[in-house]
Amino acid sequence: MHNQVVIQNPTADQLSAVFAALADPTRRAILERLAGGDASVNQLRAPFAISQPAVSKHLKVLESAGLVSRHRRGTANLSRLEPEALREADDWLERYRAAWEERFERLDEVLAELANPPS
Amino acid sequence: MATTRVTAPAGTPFIEVERDFDAPRDLVFRAWTDPKLLVRWLGPKRLEMRVDYWELDEHGGKYRYIHSGETGEEHAFHGSFHRTTADPYTLLQTFEYEGAPGYVSLDELRLVEEGGRTIAKLRSVHQTVEARDAMVEGGMSEGMNDGFDKLDELLAGELAGAR
Repeated sequence: MHNQVVIQNPTADQLSAVFAALADPTRRAILERLAGGDASVNQLRAPFAISQPAVSKHLKVLESAGLVSRHRRGTANLSRLEPEALREADDWLERYRAAWEERFERLDEVLAELANPPS
Repeated sequence: MATTRVTAPAGTPFIEVERDFDAPRDLVFRAWTDPKLLVRWLGPKRLEMRVDYWELDEHGGKYRYIHSGETGEEHAFHGSFHRTTADPYTLLQTFEYEGAPGYVSLDELRLVEEGGRTIAKLRSVHQTVEARDAMVEGGMSEGMNDGFDKLDELLAGELAGAR
């Protein structure tokens, strides 16, 4: 057990990015494939009926969420799973915090409306 | 950019949540205590929130509200409000989930205004450390969605494949 747990942003933004990234079945399949080891874009696209640019686009989303990093080995450009981003998102207190953050973002909208009532 | 901070000191029955809002505190207090406004933000996204009763004046009162889902699931909560005119921007309330009767927390909301912005400080005191931990786990399932389910699956796979 932790002595004291204090959690704050930027994890909130990163967490949103992680969940947005996980919302897509192709991206989840890519992560599952990477859990088995580093892979190139061509190796990643093999199981899917999609183009290389489409796979690259998915990889970009995964990279900006911190779930995947890119490494050069010789001439090959390999993608690698970064499990730390997944573990952070799984933290129980972080989930509690994320639940509050979700509410507070809606409260922000209510407050903005109260301050500037629609005419 | 506003940040939500959560503190849960180990071995204590406390949990604290702090967040800044870009609004004066009378507006924040209104959004927190007017049930018509509260239902627009307090409930989990996938559930509909409705207020059964909400009676609050400057000395206190009582409330009950229900979160319900499309499949008919319902989660009801109720408690009492305590207030003092000496500190109108502080609201104390007991909080009980009817799915776990007898587990009651005391929740304090304090609003501090600073240069037109408001810092909301929430502090829950639970009856025991175990009850506090169970509540946080409950809040976890409340924030749960497809993303979390998929995350669990991925983690399970990732851990199974760990070197």
